[in-house]
Amino acid sequence: MIKATVVAWLGASIVAGTSVPVAAHHSGAMFEEKKTITVEGVVKEFQYTNPHSWLIVTVTSKDGTVTTWGFEAEGPSTLQRAGIRPSDLPVGTKLTITGRPMKDGQHAATWEYAVRADGKRFEPREGFKVK
Amino acid sequence: MTAGKAAALGGVVAIGVAALLFLKLGAQDPPRDKARLSELGRQHKTAAALYNALKKQAHGGKRLDGNALPDWRGVYSRARGGITFDPDQAPGAPPTAKLTPEYQARMVTRIEMAKKGVEWDPISTCAPPGHPRWLTEPFLREFIVTPDQTWLINEMVNDVRRIYTDGRDHTPEADRYPLYDGDSIGFWDGDKLVIHTNQLKAGIYQRSNPDYTDQVETVEIWQKVSDTTIEVDVWVYDPPALVEAWYTRQSYARLSDPDKNLRIRYWNCGENQNNAVIQTQEGATAFKDLTFTGKADTK
Repeated sequence: MIKATVVAWLGASIVAGTSVPVAAHHSGAMFEEKKTITVEGVVKEFQYTNPHSWLIVTVTSKDGTVTTWGFEAEGPSTLQRAGIRPSDLPVGTKLTITGRPMKDGQHAATWEYAVRADGKRFEPREGFKVK
Repeated sequence: MTAGKAAALGGVVAIGVAALLFLKLGAQDPPRDKARLSELGRQHKTAAALYNALKKQAHGGKRLDGNALPDWRGVYSRARGGITFDPDQAPGAPPTAKLTPEYQARMVTRIEMAKKGVEWDPISTCAPPGHPRWLTEPFLREFIVTPDQTWLINEMVNDVRRIYTDGRDHTPEADRYPLYDGDSIGFWDGDKLVIHTNQLKAGIYQRSNPDYTDQVETVEIWQKVSDTTIEVDVWVYDPPALVEAWYTRQSYARLSDPDKNLRIRYWNCGENQNNAVIQTQEGATAFKDLTFTGKADTK
């Protein structure tokens, strides 16, 4: 079911260079800078790949329409550092996920954070923290 | 304990806490000797001149082996700086390099275009970042020290800089050609590894940072300064783009890995079609062909 939609994003500017953007091998300019989208769905596939991983999520709306979304994150080692393993999000996992959508309307977004049905939160950018 | 002793003890504790806090905060501040090290760069007109001066000061350097080699084991990542070349660049402030007018204008144009959503990063095609940008990438790193070579490894696109410390010189000038990571020679001055790199390919220090030309050369001094930190003093020389040597201090932190989960794997940049991007006619970045989108909606 598609949940709500666009909320203000509180992150840093992609241009200012003060934080590491999610898109490390390509520009993130194709994504909205200050808008986010949140959807509820189930994991269709977790592409645990370099230089970016993609979490593919199937979203079913109230009227039965099925949409496939892709959420882009960093590669495997950064996800490992963020505590996000392939086994955390197997196919069929129910979750709510928030990201910055593409400006051109394609069903793709950055992966800002996801919350599994059991309440566990997954935030890829945590993987850049030095600890 | 009397009230006077308690007050005195409280004062000592407060001073100790303040000192610890100062040290902790100080780790995020610019190096206190930045002005002196910047001046050292200005005193030498070329990277080769600075390197030779450092080598002379170290009496030619020393070949290390066995127990004399420093222990740089572990998995590291960049400790400060995000994706700006100079970790001391303040948020929202311009890069700290002193650029020639041409390269200043070039950088400003690139930043202005990025603000309009028109941005292209040369590594989008899976090319290596190249040195000196290599210093800034935020991924896993390992540093392998041997008597004759030191390998500086960045997991991104399996990027290894080989630093020859066996006494060899650079490739003869007539036979040089641009390389992503250049040609690096070095020597040990105690536990400090001093490196000179030339024969580099033009690139960018980072997005929203300046360009460098294929005349760029660097001098680096690597040293492990604590159990978990390696610091690198870096001087960049690039006459077409820099008015004077650009000094920065880079640092890498050894990551906590009690379960030994952190491993550098082979990085195949082209393994997932969803990561393929193209440069549009106006110079922006666009995904080439996302596999999961389209009009596949069903009821």
